[in-house]
Amino acid sequence: MPDPVLLDAPPEEQWQIDLERVGLLRRLLNGRKWYGVDWWMVVISSIMVVFFIVIAFFPGLLAPHDPLEQVGPRFLPPGDKPDAEVLLLRVDSPIESLADLAGQGRVPTAVVQGAPSSEDIRSEAERITQELAATGSDDRIRFRILRLETLEEVLAAIQAGDVELGAGSSQQLEPLMDAYPDVVIAGPISGEKGGKTFLLGTNQIGQDVLSRLSWGARIALIIGFTASIFSLVLGVPLGLFAGFTGGKIDRGLTLVMDSLYAFPGLILAIAIAAVLGPSIVNVIVAIAVLYIPTYYRIVRGQTLSTKESLHVEAATSIGATKTSILRRYIFPLVIPSVAIIFSVNIADAILTGAALSFLGLGLPPTTPDWGIDLARGQEFIQRAWWLITFPGIAVMLVVLAFTMLGEGLTEIFNPKLRKQ
Amino acid sequence: MSSDVLYSIRNLDVEYDTRLGGVRAVDDFSLDIQKGEILGLVGESGCGKSTLGKGMMRTITTPGHIVGGELWFEGVDLMTLSEKQMSGIRGNKIGMVFQDPMTSLNPLMTIVDHLTEAIRAHHKEVSQQAARARATEMVAELGIRTERIDDYPHQFSGGMRQRIMIALVLALNASLVIADEPTTALDVIVEAQFLDLLRGLRKEFELTILLITHNIGVVAELADRVAVMYAGKLAEVAPVDSLFLETKHPYSRGLLKSVPNIDVDNQELYKMEGAPPNLIAPPSGCRFHPRCPYAVALCAAEEPELTTVSGEQHRATCWIYSDRKDRPTDGLT
Amino acid sequence: MTDEKALVRLEHVEKFFPVPRGLIASLRDRGEKPAVRAVDDVSFEIKRGEVLGLAGESGSGKSTVGRLVLRLLDPTAGRVFFDGVDLATLKPEEMRKTRSRMQVVFQDPLASLNPRMSVGRAVEHPAQIHMPDLTQQQRREAVYEIFGAVGLDPPKYFYDKYPHQISGGQRQRIVMARALITRPDLIVADEPIAMADVSVQALLLDLMMRLKEEFDLTYLFITHDLATTKYLCDRLAVMYLGKIVEVGNLREVFTNPQHPYTRALLSAVPVPDPRHRRTEPLPQGEIPNPINPPAGCHFHPRCPIAQKGICDVEAPELLPFHDDDAHLVSCHLRTGAYQDLDPDRQIA
Repeated sequence: MPDPVLLDAPPEEQWQIDLERVGLLRRLLNGRKWYGVDWWMVVISSIMVVFFIVIAFFPGLLAPHDPLEQVGPRFLPPGDKPDAEVLLLRVDSPIESLADLAGQGRVPTAVVQGAPSSEDIRSEAERITQELAATGSDDRIRFRILRLETLEEVLAAIQAGDVELGAGSSQQLEPLMDAYPDVVIAGPISGEKGGKTFLLGTNQIGQDVLSRLSWGARIALIIGFTASIFSLVLGVPLGLFAGFTGGKIDRGLTLVMDSLYAFPGLILAIAIAAVLGPSIVNVIVAIAVLYIPTYYRIVRGQTLSTKESLHVEAATSIGATKTSILRRYIFPLVIPSVAIIFSVNIADAILTGAALSFLGLGLPPTTPDWGIDLARGQEFIQRAWWLITFPGIAVMLVVLAFTMLGEGLTEIFNPKLRKQ
Repeated sequence: MSSDVLYSIRNLDVEYDTRLGGVRAVDDFSLDIQKGEILGLVGESGCGKSTLGKGMMRTITTPGHIVGGELWFEGVDLMTLSEKQMSGIRGNKIGMVFQDPMTSLNPLMTIVDHLTEAIRAHHKEVSQQAARARATEMVAELGIRTERIDDYPHQFSGGMRQRIMIALVLALNASLVIADEPTTALDVIVEAQFLDLLRGLRKEFELTILLITHNIGVVAELADRVAVMYAGKLAEVAPVDSLFLETKHPYSRGLLKSVPNIDVDNQELYKMEGAPPNLIAPPSGCRFHPRCPYAVALCAAEEPELTTVSGEQHRATCWIYSDRKDRPTDGLT
Repeated sequence: MTDEKALVRLEHVEKFFPVPRGLIASLRDRGEKPAVRAVDDVSFEIKRGEVLGLAGESGSGKSTVGRLVLRLLDPTAGRVFFDGVDLATLKPEEMRKTRSRMQVVFQDPLASLNPRMSVGRAVEHPAQIHMPDLTQQQRREAVYEIFGAVGLDPPKYFYDKYPHQISGGQRQRIVMARALITRPDLIVADEPIAMADVSVQALLLDLMMRLKEEFDLTYLFITHDLATTKYLCDRLAVMYLGKIVEVGNLREVFTNPQHPYTRALLSAVPVPDPRHRRTEPLPQGEIPNPINPPAGCHFHPRCPIAQKGICDVEAPELLPFHDDDAHLVSCHLRTGAYQDLDPDRQIA
């Protein structure tokens, strides 16, 4: 008599059911031991890719400013404090800040001609006036500006009582203050704007580099994704069709694709972009044409080998039609390798897009684009290293992330593809 | 007795990391290989026999690794050796013959290059000419035409390549040969020729061979002793006659009875129910108990140990042969 | 024994595969194109309800014969009849319909299943093609039914599995189920159990026997392992280098093999019994290159009884042995004009 314990023994498939209950997360984690380096590559690069995609959707998350607006002094190095622009007053002046001047008529004011402080004092006064107008008040701040050549002259004018107030940069003022005992620094012209730092510095027209970078990510990914999808949509069906039908159609298509492929990539893209003229759509078209053969070749190769496989022969023997063999027995097997090329392809497309912009063949010159920033920044390479370093790093990181993701996935899902 | 032991595996554990967790492919495995014997190691796919062969040479690659155990070979525990010392032993003192010989032959070297290199690796004083002469002799002895000595491996058939592998092992004067499925890729007649060749050579060169195979017939023809492996564990080990004629372990019995025998008329094949367990979640107690026709509660609860069942040489891992009161019985003992 | 009842008949079928050559080689010796003579003038028939074993070593052309029977390949010459119809005369659409009556089981079940299609849908697909009248629900029921027949239990559990999620033996059962769902007359089983483990082999052999009874099947059982033919086959044909060298009732071929190659093949099979010793000497060497097979009898360079001047010159024909129409042998020394030269016969 068999033991009752055995009657309750699980069926032979029990372990399989149990294993399928293992959570996806745990399986993913266990991949660490199974695939080693490739697993880490995929995880790190996916995090990077997700990061870039989030930035592309919400550039505002990283960008503190409008990428097209002048928001600070020109060529401000990364992280540096710009000179604080301060308000100068006589010791005995009743005024404490700019706001006190509202409604007082034209106040005589001394500034250095062309200095940032003269710009700042006027824009701050404008701001306060607008604020007051919003509350219903008619008061305005008005100046009678005395434009002078040097800061010493400004100080002297206040000392002498010729003007009520003045403005200047704190760093330049510091050695001069002792000579004008009646003049005091009242404080920054605006508490908010003065002394503002930029994490990655500003460019040659005072735009924030970080803001331009994050808006540039959007452009880069739009170009990368749309161009790759475009080549995929054309390359994959062509490859499937040529590989499956074979014969003359296959030979003709392959000849065309091979000649496209043999042409140096960038030169082809330059030619197409030059003919079409600069616009984002044309850049995408140029890049898409360039990468159609990549999909075509891989898909055709896979189709050819899958066509010979036993399960396709088995499908023939059950009487399946050609279209159903192509659709149900070949196409699903081609998808993983297409997904992998897609990732590497995006990286290539972004790089080519940046190269086209760098050469001035890509986008309209005002666009916040990494390639354009690189091209412009290159003029100032000795004066402002940050103008080309950060866009360069951004291009490198995004290309690295997509390539690593593609390569890592290849190793994991389709080791044979690499050997081809 | 123990002085005749050439290679002793003690409590070897080999584990593979998989997406679903660790798999103990070889679990607490101990086995001695006597000098001069052909030991057949049989089992079904996934039982860990090939892993054991690789483990014995420490050639297991990630995601697999040896967790613990000792590998005593010629008085040395191979586990204590450095990787460099170990590679000196591999291919020199322990020869290897695989199912696909192309994996171990250099496609860019001719056969004579392979052989002279092997000969001169041991006897540096031998001149190139002398080594070539010796190689030619060996090739002739193994039934390969001597004029083909300057051919490349890909120009030979599967059977001939296996002979070349044996020639290499002989040239190196290896004291142990681990042959992992050496005849699986060969056709029956070529397989029979190869077995005849091995049988002749082992007498002449006093070869010690560990023959890993799933083919019960090959083991019956060639081996002196047979070890049966199931789910990473040693199920039974015995001299070949005793194992085939007085099979003790229920798994070995089922396995042997399910092999078609061309010589026997109207043989009813035994149909063993179930499938080998997946080692990610091995069954409790004896790993064979879910498929065993004699299993009782004890088998599911506790793991049996390797015990001597008849004579000194015949041992099996089964509760039937214990002296426990609650042991199962097969109606024979 | 009416020959008209044959389900499959091959008449002098040949299949040559051209050998791909380099450009220079093809320019140099134009005209004669080398070819692998995979199947060389093969004729046989399989009666309804019969199991014909087709044995041989790799390169003997046995798998090619299987594909020719199913018209997965078109013969270079000769005719293949299925149920009295010459398959070459069928239009593509008619051929597709006929395929529901002839099915195949390959050696490697994993390779013969689409890895991205669940096994349930893989089995359902033939029904979808050949039984368009069934509703989806009815088709699914049919799949469950056939799963039960091949021993996949519970059927619902397996339906959504993918090939890599089940064991090798279960996969082969799936392949059988796919072959059976259209209720075919003929199944060509090309080494169906060669990749399975010993214990699984026994189960699959048993299953094939049961299915034959249950579904009234006719098998062409292609194998390299003669030991397994014993459990399934009524007749056995032995192939060597594209030709059938001996064919007859299984018992007759096993107990009274006439062709030296058949004898060698039978004696070379490893026997799972340590007391067994081989009696027959093994032939020397290996199968020659099928591109350029030996003249005369293809087996003569390895044959222990080959006669100079006869076997290396003249190709033997497949003739009845001792006027037994059911046992055909292709050997000069056993049948035909030279049979008196047979050394065995002289001893007797």
